[in-house]
Amino acid sequence: MVVNPFIAIEQVCKTFPSDAGPVPVIDNVSLTIGEGEFVVFLGPSGCGKTTLMRMVGGLDHPTRGLIRLGGEPVLGPSRAKGMVFQSYSSFPWLTVLKNIRFGLKYRDDVSETEKDRIARHYLDLVGLTPYADFYVSKVSGGMRQRVAIARTLAANPQVLLMDEPFGALDAQTRERLQVQLLDIRHAERKTVIFVTHDVDEAIFLADRIVVFSARPARLIRDIAVASRVPGERTLDNRESRPFLELRREILAIIREEAQRNEASLMAAG
Amino acid sequence: MSAPEPNRRSGEASENAWLALFRFRGRAAPNLDLGIGVASFIAILVAWFVVAELGWINPQFLPSPLGVLEAVYRLFADQNFTADIGVSIFRVWVAFVVSALMAIPLGILMSSYRIVGAVTEPIVDFIRYLPVPALVPLTLIWLGIGEMSKITLLWLGTFFQLVLLIADDARRVPKEYVETGRTLGANDRELMKDILLPAMLPSMVDNLRITLGWCWTYLIIAEIVAANSGIGYVIWAAKRYVKTPEVFAGVLAIGIIGLVTDQLIRWAHRKTFRYLGA
Repeated sequence: MVVNPFIAIEQVCKTFPSDAGPVPVIDNVSLTIGEGEFVVFLGPSGCGKTTLMRMVGGLDHPTRGLIRLGGEPVLGPSRAKGMVFQSYSSFPWLTVLKNIRFGLKYRDDVSETEKDRIARHYLDLVGLTPYADFYVSKVSGGMRQRVAIARTLAANPQVLLMDEPFGALDAQTRERLQVQLLDIRHAERKTVIFVTHDVDEAIFLADRIVVFSARPARLIRDIAVASRVPGERTLDNRESRPFLELRREILAIIREEAQRNEASLMAAG
Repeated sequence: MSAPEPNRRSGEASENAWLALFRFRGRAAPNLDLGIGVASFIAILVAWFVVAELGWINPQFLPSPLGVLEAVYRLFADQNFTADIGVSIFRVWVAFVVSALMAIPLGILMSSYRIVGAVTEPIVDFIRYLPVPALVPLTLIWLGIGEMSKITLLWLGTFFQLVLLIADDARRVPKEYVETGRTLGANDRELMKDILLPAMLPSMVDNLRITLGWCWTYLIIAEIVAANSGIGYVIWAAKRYVKTPEVFAGVLAIGIIGLVTDQLIRWAHRKTFRYLGA
């Protein structure tokens, strides 16, 4: 389904230094992502999928290999690569609206009045207009993540990077935000990389799921979700047979991977 | 849930407010808390009054509260105590403001750039451990007995402590805030001004408040050693003539100024950083 390689991850390896010598976290991953694709990085906790996404954002650097965005090598963080974190995602000293406005603070391509208009637009898009003047400490965890999404979109990045953004939320809130994220995504048509270890979340949101092995992360499966789970993404669709089948299949891959990893650890130890 | 466990939640709500005071990590009602604080203060005053009025202790050692009040009146009426208080407050605040204005930028830079940290940390750590009274002779030799030597002494006592506290405040800002700033296009200067500074401000104001308290300690040392004005001088001069009530009055003045300043800053902290309350 890749039309043009908007994001290209080329033979990327990453090792972290430790007392016992360098520890490999990412093992030779190559991957291309098309413009407008919603790609979920799925894998066991601590497998390196977040590190890979951070490298796309320029917040970490590959030990070997190269990442390109729109043909240009990624050398560091910039406004082109927007990031939504799981925690500390919004600034407590600012109100909801001012947090969103902060996303535009360093843009010099739009005027101040235009910035106000854009901030209001994204405030409205995430449904927080009634809470515009609340400090983020006074709104719920789910609203705080919506603030972070709106702020990141306001900066008009080329790619939206989301690091388990709903990981700390309760199940109901998380489900609601997943639906809203799909709506936002339809309105914005952004390229998204979304990291999670929640299989349901992955299938529900993704055009494409990339499954990684346990550390060091290798790419073990690349699944085009749309061809597997037809129909519109609704909460009902989550109960459909194709959805559940794909879910079972992915869980089996992950379980097998975890067992293999455990076995190799036992052998090593 | 097993049966014998009493319903703690409703139990707490209906519990006698007094009992909560004695429960491990119990929460007291704010009014009750304040009331007890005032009561214990009054109890000490009454005990002092009784002990002094009954003549159990030589008034040369412990004058009565009334004697101290008279001394306070004499100080203000005859000795222009207001001017001494003014001079002391002036010295404390000049030194404090100079320390803060230097420590805030340097502390942020120390935590943000390893080169600044690596160069300054050993020096700061060394000077931090020098006892301020030991530096008095040096400030006197270098700067004489004028205002400059007192303010320098206070600065020596506070700046090196404060700069490390500020660096720590900056270091504790979650890296997510900084990385968010980076991905929104902020440069280093903008990260420090627009993200580090507001993020660390509440804990920084707390540290400034505590540092201001130290300033008073060093002020008294400075004024006792070499001064002809200020609260410390008044206390020391009174001691020379064994005017114990005046000594008490001077010490109380410092205590009251400290308490009032501290409470004012706490109050401003609460008002300014209302967003912190969840």
